[in-house]
Amino acid sequence: MARTTSSDAAVVAALGVPAPAAPGSFASRLGRAAVLVAFVALVVMLGLTLAPANALELQYAVSLTLFAVATNLILGFGGLVSFGQGVFYGVGAYTVALGWMHHSLSFTEAMVLAPFFGAAAAIPLGMLALRTRRLYFSLLTLTLSQLAYVIAENQTNLTGGTNGVFGAMVPSWLLDPHTSFLFTVAIVAVAIAILWKIVHSPFGLVLRAIRDNRERVEALGVNVYAHELVAFVISAFFCSLAGSLFVVYSQSSYPEILNWTASGVPVFMAVIGGMYSFFGPVVGAFVYEFASHYLIEYTQDWQLVIGVVLLAIVLLRPDGLAGSLGSLRAWLRRRRPPVDGAPAAAAAAPESGGGPS
Amino acid sequence: MARFLTETIGTLSDAGSLFVVAAGLTLVFGAMRVINLAHGTFYMYGAFAVTTFAGTASGLRFWVAVVVAALVVAALGAVVQLGVVRFVVGKEPLTQLVATFAVLYILADVALHLWGSGARSVSAPLGVSGTFTLAGAYLPVYDLVIIGTAVLVGLVLWLLLSHTSLGWMIRAAVDDPELLQSGGVNLRRLHLAVFATGALLAALAGAIVTPQISVAPGMDQSIIVSSLLVVVIGGLGSVVGTAFAALIIGIADTVGTLVDPTWASTFMYFAVILVLVVRPWGLFGAPER
Amino acid sequence: MKVVGNKRRVRSYLTALTVAALAATAGTAATVSAGASSGGTVTVGESTTLSGSIAELGQTGLQGVQFAINSINAHGGLLGKHINVVSADDAATPATGASNARNFILNDHAVAMFGPIVSSVAAAEEPVVTQYKVPIFFYISNDVALLTQDYTPYAFQVVPNTVMEPRAAADYLAHMVGKKKITIGTFAPNYSFGTSTVAGFIQALKDLHVNYKLVNQQFPPLEATNIAPYLSALVAAHPEYVFNAQFGGDLVTFSKQAAQYGFFKHTKVIAMYSRYPLQSLGAGAPAGAIGFDRAPFWALGKTGMNGTGMAAFINSFKAKYKQYPSAWAIMGYSAVQTWAYGVKKAGTFAGAKVSAALSGANVPTIRGTLNLRACDHQANVPEYVGTVSAKASAKFHLRLWDNVFVAQAKDIMLTCAQSKALRG
Repeated sequence: MARTTSSDAAVVAALGVPAPAAPGSFASRLGRAAVLVAFVALVVMLGLTLAPANALELQYAVSLTLFAVATNLILGFGGLVSFGQGVFYGVGAYTVALGWMHHSLSFTEAMVLAPFFGAAAAIPLGMLALRTRRLYFSLLTLTLSQLAYVIAENQTNLTGGTNGVFGAMVPSWLLDPHTSFLFTVAIVAVAIAILWKIVHSPFGLVLRAIRDNRERVEALGVNVYAHELVAFVISAFFCSLAGSLFVVYSQSSYPEILNWTASGVPVFMAVIGGMYSFFGPVVGAFVYEFASHYLIEYTQDWQLVIGVVLLAIVLLRPDGLAGSLGSLRAWLRRRRPPVDGAPAAAAAAPESGGGPS
Repeated sequence: MARFLTETIGTLSDAGSLFVVAAGLTLVFGAMRVINLAHGTFYMYGAFAVTTFAGTASGLRFWVAVVVAALVVAALGAVVQLGVVRFVVGKEPLTQLVATFAVLYILADVALHLWGSGARSVSAPLGVSGTFTLAGAYLPVYDLVIIGTAVLVGLVLWLLLSHTSLGWMIRAAVDDPELLQSGGVNLRRLHLAVFATGALLAALAGAIVTPQISVAPGMDQSIIVSSLLVVVIGGLGSVVGTAFAALIIGIADTVGTLVDPTWASTFMYFAVILVLVVRPWGLFGAPER
Repeated sequence: MKVVGNKRRVRSYLTALTVAALAATAGTAATVSAGASSGGTVTVGESTTLSGSIAELGQTGLQGVQFAINSINAHGGLLGKHINVVSADDAATPATGASNARNFILNDHAVAMFGPIVSSVAAAEEPVVTQYKVPIFFYISNDVALLTQDYTPYAFQVVPNTVMEPRAAADYLAHMVGKKKITIGTFAPNYSFGTSTVAGFIQALKDLHVNYKLVNQQFPPLEATNIAPYLSALVAAHPEYVFNAQFGGDLVTFSKQAAQYGFFKHTKVIAMYSRYPLQSLGAGAPAGAIGFDRAPFWALGKTGMNGTGMAAFINSFKAKYKQYPSAWAIMGYSAVQTWAYGVKKAGTFAGAKVSAALSGANVPTIRGTLNLRACDHQANVPEYVGTVSAKASAKFHLRLWDNVFVAQAKDIMLTCAQSKALRG
């Protein structure tokens, strides 16, 4: 990435995209930071005061927000619809679980290595998958996901096979629900902050430019394939991190977390929350996770409800809940004349590059 | 020789049913540029419908049940087309995938209400339930029924697509929709017909294989994966490619079980990856513009 | 196609994930379990497979458990308390089973667990019950690893394990073929139970000096909807004998499919032809095939399996459900009796004390007196083997077995030393 940065900055200038260094006035940045801090504080407070079972549910939702945001790096900002991020989520989870099962890695070592293993796996897989475009890319990543799934299911000596791996793989200091909750929140917060920096770096802007107008960016001499590959690997790194957090929560790893429906989950979260907004997938993850959790308790028909919600969003609000919020704000602003003279569109979704043209 | 025959007939039968399902998927894609993730749902509904209509009686009633099941599911396909798919034609692949996946979820739940969560089975109808011998191999007569159905479906589709005006319209629907509409063709009606036919093919495959499988929830998600592999290898939109690809998948599967059972189920995925590396648009497909 | 095996597991992925929310409540929750049942009732939990092709086994096992609990309640309960059963479907998925167990223990304050069917699910439940110190009684799942590699003082197995069961079948086969050279194929579900049972069978053949050649081995997924590719590979290899470790609806599907190949004419299949498959197959049951079962009601008169109350149980079960109890129901009943004996002996519902009281105990059950040996908590239960009959039994109106053979536990069990060596 370091290699591409300077040229990325040049490309950004050539494309005439607003410089990333000044995404709004100081006051608006401060305001946004305050909202974020307040949100994290709220989550932490909730986690500490809730009953253990509910705190765990919240912990799981928090870890899924990372999965969704990491997936959205290539989905929303890269325009790459991957049904294969479950592979990397699974690599993360299995690194911790198998490290324990084969007595080869301590928990800490496994947690540290998990994202790097995911990134390492993403290099060949990304090189392969990015040879294809659009729908074929989706279908090839789906295939990779299923391939990882059947390997995990059938290589019993290595992975525990269909049984999966269950056991005391999480150290006792991390078993207390509140400790494991804080542990998860801390890791997810740092990871999401890094992803935010990446999205708003010149690299992130070029990525969005590729999504919006591939040919034009290519004409500027940008190596599109390399940019997409780097984004794919970064996404995989954080998907794996989210997968290792799944083990902290569930104390297990099993083949089903790798298959194509599992890979679809972060995509659905991004779609529900809004994939053109950085924090949309966070909202989507909370909505999806809590909806499905409580739906299972109250109705057998959770699939039906989630199906209807997905359908409604994708047909009526393709930019998700965050997009709806943006439109609402834009509508409110139109009713009241803007005070600071900011363009309505920019105000609606400051971190968005807009949908693909 | 006996061993070879047993494996061959088994492979052909498997490839045959897969071809019929995947042909529906690729037909819809060819005419509408929509990948329908709920296509496997029609297969499952076809199978469940047969368990309902055929009851325990076999013989003539089974064949009637197969036809009724296929027609009923074709009607369901029309409903899905009118209610959902027609709104995503021409949209981004993501929109299409998510919308049709939502349909898969919704119909999976409806199926649980209709048929419960247990497994169901149907016996092969009299006359085709037995065994025949060929060069010392004992083979299921019913395999021939499946292979015959697949060949028939393949022939009909080929005639339809290359020798009728409907086939021309289906091809033109993607290449030049304006020309088609200026010629007085109602594109929406054409899409409806194609989508219902796709559903019918999936249901027919599901219905015809019931004597050889146990019918249970979850069939929808597993068959859609196999059919996607087939249409990707064959090239999206190509019926001929689908036939070849179904054979490739069937052979990959059989060779896999012979070579190394623990890796057998990965063979078909490697086949897909191999094909896409060499020809990212599939064997008989066209590069995306 | 191979991927057809995913089935319910795919669907239940989300269920598993979300319900597993209660997961690591670990340390803090370890205190909630024992004796926390309030008022005049205590709760026991059964997570088992109630959907899919093996659902019948889960349902009938649950019926046996419920029957035994009803009987205890009718006789004044246990330590003066009424027993309540909570149950849930695990969809044959380990993660779902583990979260069900956690839910029962944390939310319903279950003091004991029964089930499941599937050994992989049982293995996933073991760390949970160990964490919360709740005894679990395996009466269907029987992987030997559950009491060896995965040993926990809280697990008890009242079913012949995956060493005992195939060993009994191998004994029968060895007796049948003598010194003759035979070819063998195996067919088993692709998870711990299947691989473990097949390994147990092959080991037993070696120990018995059977002159065999292994010609084909297939491992289709559990609850696979389409076994055609696996089956045609097996058929093509032309084995004289096939050891099949499938069960329930999966075995029924196999038998119907294999019959389409005329397979039973030339090949003797050795499989768990218990009541359910025999009843489902009816006239299509393969005469001459070798069946094995863990507690067949029809073998009652001929064997030692005649503990107090067995006849009464069979009659009242038949009266209530209009069919004879499956082995799963009989074993479920005896599993509850085992737990109740431990509670009475310990004088408390507290898991640690109940487990300690049961270790090495001789427990009177409807299957006779079961010894739960102290070294690994395996009950000394026999296994039954017979040949599927060509005609329906006059008494039971079902195609059952001829030449029933009872393999006594002492002849088929691992020694304590062997069992401990496997613990690793």
